[in-house]
Amino acid sequence: MARRLVALFATLTLAVGACGDSGTTASGQTKLTIGVIPIVDVAPIYLGVQKGFFTEQKLEVKLETAQGGAAIVPGVVAGQYQFGFSNTVSLLLANAQGLPLKAVANGVASTGAEGKDFGAVIVKKDSPITSAKDLAGKRVAVNTLRNINTTTVSSVVRKAGGDPSTITYVELPFPDIVSAVAKGDVDAGQVVEPFLTIAAGQGDKQITSNYAGTAPGLTVGMYFTSTKFAQENAAAVAGFTTAMNKSLEYASAHPDEARAVLTTYTKIDPAVQQKMVLPKWPSAVDKASVQVLADLATQDGVLTKQPDLTALLP
Amino acid sequence: MRRPLLGVAGLLILVAVVELLPRLGLVDTRFLPPFSSMVSALGDEAGTGGFWTALAQTLRGWAIGLAVAVLAGVAAGIVIGGVPFLRAVTATTIEFLRPIPSVALIPLVVLLYGSRPQSALVLVVYAAFWQVLVQVLYGVADVDPVVRDTARSFRFSRWAVVRRVVWPTAMPYVVTGVRLAAAVALILQITAELVIGVPGLGRSIGVAQSSGAVADTYALVIVVGLIGVAVNASARAVERRALRWHTSVRRDL
Repeated sequence: MARRLVALFATLTLAVGACGDSGTTASGQTKLTIGVIPIVDVAPIYLGVQKGFFTEQKLEVKLETAQGGAAIVPGVVAGQYQFGFSNTVSLLLANAQGLPLKAVANGVASTGAEGKDFGAVIVKKDSPITSAKDLAGKRVAVNTLRNINTTTVSSVVRKAGGDPSTITYVELPFPDIVSAVAKGDVDAGQVVEPFLTIAAGQGDKQITSNYAGTAPGLTVGMYFTSTKFAQENAAAVAGFTTAMNKSLEYASAHPDEARAVLTTYTKIDPAVQQKMVLPKWPSAVDKASVQVLADLATQDGVLTKQPDLTALLP
Repeated sequence: MRRPLLGVAGLLILVAVVELLPRLGLVDTRFLPPFSSMVSALGDEAGTGGFWTALAQTLRGWAIGLAVAVLAGVAAGIVIGGVPFLRAVTATTIEFLRPIPSVALIPLVVLLYGSRPQSALVLVVYAAFWQVLVQVLYGVADVDPVVRDTARSFRFSRWAVVRRVVWPTAMPYVVTGVRLAAAVALILQITAELVIGVPGLGRSIGVAQSSGAVADTYALVIVVGLIGVAVNASARAVERRALRWHTSVRRDL
């Protein structure tokens, strides 16, 4: 019976699942499904699709949102998505675990300006914490443990002369970090836009810009594909990279349009949309900053061995 | 007539509490906005096409998943329940598979289907199937052996025994199973949307939450709650109608 049940489910799932999305349409367009997260970082790709930069490259792009990068990496490896967006440390982790991934375009980068970046550590208005050094020995909320936010917060604390090993990191979703800081459940929290602007509107203070403080122009996220897809579809990958770079340049040159496109895939309050700090969207990956992240993650024990950056980076 | 009135009164008290708590400053309006702002956010939502698309996606996913689970559960239940050998062979396996929470399958379905509707379908069917199957098994086991033997001695065909003897006995159990499965299917549909990002109301809740749109988030949660109430009410209506001949529904005995 177990076998029959398994067979039943297998038939069922195959029957409904036997419809891959990669293929070529009658008009010669290559169909691609791209896994993204509904956050500010991916505004350029939405803008690029809207502006037709992908159709120019004979690519018919469908953006599918997942609730987190954790679903995108396996989705790309399994071929559900041909491309995906993920933060740099997640890609380094995947690479160190031997997952065959290849970054094909830059995603999002720090503005490099302390106090004016799209990600920062916040504390309550009346908190005794005034600098990155004071975070040592405190409870700090991050959205994912042992990932880019713990690595960069530890890095800025270390640079400021504190001991990051004494920090207790607490994992919470971004929206809950703002309320946990307000309630005093944690001493500080690392958030990104729009929560940074929302928190500032409620009187919270920014202590340190953890991305800018780790490396100016830090490459925070990238678009990637599987090495298998890259080898078998060189033309589609080249087209994607060209279209993506054009989208990044367009978004950098037209910040108002980048803000406006947010309404098409997020529910960010219009006032916050206008006020918040946009990240930088350079078209080139800052390889030195990725090396910095790799070194930091190895030092913190997040990575057990140095990732192979030449295989991973474009 | 008193009971529905009391129910409405209870609901109104809840609304008043949710309105007053933030207004009186007892809870932080940033994290629990007053009920009136949730309603106005809901009004804004209802004016967008995206909301109705998401609602339709959720309901469609729920209905398809429930239908597949009910058909598979009833068919499997009657076959397994009717053959003592199969029943003995599968009992342990069913008790092993049944308690596996559907959400534990999320990593697996993400690998198979990513954030497509199929991911939600697998989770919904897996969770709802057991609810129906187990009820059908109880129902089939409840058949009066004397009635069954009588039917056999009249040379009823196998199909006729199922149709005339097993089905009427199992029917109340099947309907209970469907009612349980309907609620579980909705929970899993919303969970899949919220956690994986399958298109639907759950994903809209996730997007609103990750945009810091608190009133919108609550507004969508209210909609999901209303769907739950509607699902339960319609399941009960179906139950009354399908079992109007049964002593549990008939009042005139």
